[in-house]
Amino acid sequence: MDKLKGVSWIIFIISVFAIIYALIFNPADWIVYAISLVFIPLSVLSLGLISMAQGTKEDEEDKTKEPFIGY
Amino acid sequence: MDLTTLGGQLLGIIPLGDIVLYVTTFNLFMSVAALVFTVLIAMSRTEKQVEAQFGTLNDREKKVSKDEFKIRRFLSIICGIATAGAMITGDLFNFTLFVTLIGIVNIGIVSAVKEVDVLDSAFQYGIIAMLATLPLFGGAALILGTTGTLSMLEIVNIPTTAMMLFGSILLFIGVAGESGVAPFFATKAEMFRTAGSPFLVIIHLSSLLVIVRAIEILLIINKPF
Amino acid sequence: MNLMAEILLNVLIAFFIGSLLFGLQRKVMARIQMRPGPPIIQHLLHTLKFFIKETVFPKTAAMPFYVVITLILMAIWVAAVIIGPVTHGPLLLLFAIFAIHKIVEHNAGSSSGSPYGKLSCVRAVFSAAAELPLFAVLIIIYLKTGTMDLAGIIAYQDAHGALLLSIPLTALMFIVLIISKSYYFSPFNITLAKDIISGFETEHFGTLRGFIMMSESITWYMLVWIFLTVFIGGLSPIGYLIGMVIVTAVIGLINAITPILNPNHSVMAEVTLAFIGIVGSIAMIYI
Repeated sequence: MDKLKGVSWIIFIISVFAIIYALIFNPADWIVYAISLVFIPLSVLSLGLISMAQGTKEDEEDKTKEPFIGY
Repeated sequence: MDLTTLGGQLLGIIPLGDIVLYVTTFNLFMSVAALVFTVLIAMSRTEKQVEAQFGTLNDREKKVSKDEFKIRRFLSIICGIATAGAMITGDLFNFTLFVTLIGIVNIGIVSAVKEVDVLDSAFQYGIIAMLATLPLFGGAALILGTTGTLSMLEIVNIPTTAMMLFGSILLFIGVAGESGVAPFFATKAEMFRTAGSPFLVIIHLSSLLVIVRAIEILLIINKPF
Repeated sequence: MNLMAEILLNVLIAFFIGSLLFGLQRKVMARIQMRPGPPIIQHLLHTLKFFIKETVFPKTAAMPFYVVITLILMAIWVAAVIIGPVTHGPLLLLFAIFAIHKIVEHNAGSSSGSPYGKLSCVRAVFSAAAELPLFAVLIIIYLKTGTMDLAGIIAYQDAHGALLLSIPLTALMFIVLIISKSYYFSPFNITLAKDIISGFETEHFGTLRGFIMMSESITWYMLVWIFLTVFIGGLSPIGYLIGMVIVTAVIGLINAITPILNPNHSVMAEVTLAFIGIVGSIAMIYI
């Protein structure tokens, strides 16, 4: 889970910088489209992965092994 | 009417000898989507499908074995690259070639699977795809015969004749058979009941994108205005 | 206004209004069933609640597809926002976006390895037959107006009156398509039907589910926006809001009344309606 959080933080910071770059520097249209298509979803998802609740360490193995069955 | 009416701005052309690739917003979007999926497939693992077992509470896991994984991944990448090429090509014969390649590779991706229903469906799809190559290439040949060119950038300026309409209808029948999207061949859905999710997605993606592109080509050949 | 700011603003508006419209749909369905129903912001609250819950990636899942497919879903509908309210661009791209949405339904279902997702994956393949109405809608609009560009269609309607009045059967086909994307108990949405739990969304839980729900809110907003723009013309923001509320309420009514159909019957119903629409529209244009 820490690896996931670390990767999410990095992706979130890169996305936010890209979006702010597009907001401030007003690049060519196609660059803005490319930035919005790639970095808006990445920013929202990484924000979600940063802010999500986290369970205890010992439950983690159970959760990844059998999430569909319920017991 | 010209290409920009359909696809948005013409962003450029890439001449490769006789075959000219042209890029509009529409083509570029689809081609990039196909390439994104191809890259993801190249680096993706497959899933393990979980199914219930009769008589016990255990599950049965269906996995893709290593050899099967490698060959299916190779075929999927070829399919993805062919789809990306079919999206931006400006040559009618090049398009039909890509479509037949996609049809063959679609069968190949599921033929390594050891499940009877999937193989049955793939076999029937293969027969229809083979039958569809006749109208596919025949349509393209008729258009070449009538207009004297296979380049879409030139066909868009030639006024439509009845023969061009007929040729394009044949072409569409060929594409419908080759790609096998519903409602033209709904049982192709049975091919997707197997494991190997990344490889199945390229089958579906290639079929759908090819149909979308075929509609655009139909509109280029028969200009309603 | 800066292009990026415009895109961000439109995406945010699409998300909020789409969520409220889904809540309105639930309210309408509940009132038809003579019960109070949840508050209208309930869908928005669900989305945010899921967003902050824990998600785990199952061991059996196909990584990275399991996560990336949710990114692709949001990316294509951000592309739809760019084509729609921001640039009034080519409508044929919408066809490509619908095709990739089907792919997302397919892969989100199959990438987790769960049997419910697999069922949804296979249903997504033959429910692609429901895209037939969309291609017919695009062709008929092209035959009528001579353009496939949203800006051109708006200009045509300013000059000649709403397309809803001149090609109503085409509008009907588009409504059938919108119904097949509506979230709650739609007769035509077989990939998200309750008989397969939650279809392709079943095994994406927690943050990923909240993320998918956000994309679906944007999807709904964009579908209704495109319907209003293409068939009624350029409206003021109040006009759009009223139009969206009316369309959502009507679709809520339809969803409340129709049963959940067997997948084959559902697809056949859509194709039949499409066929009637195509033949009728072409007859109305040329005869």
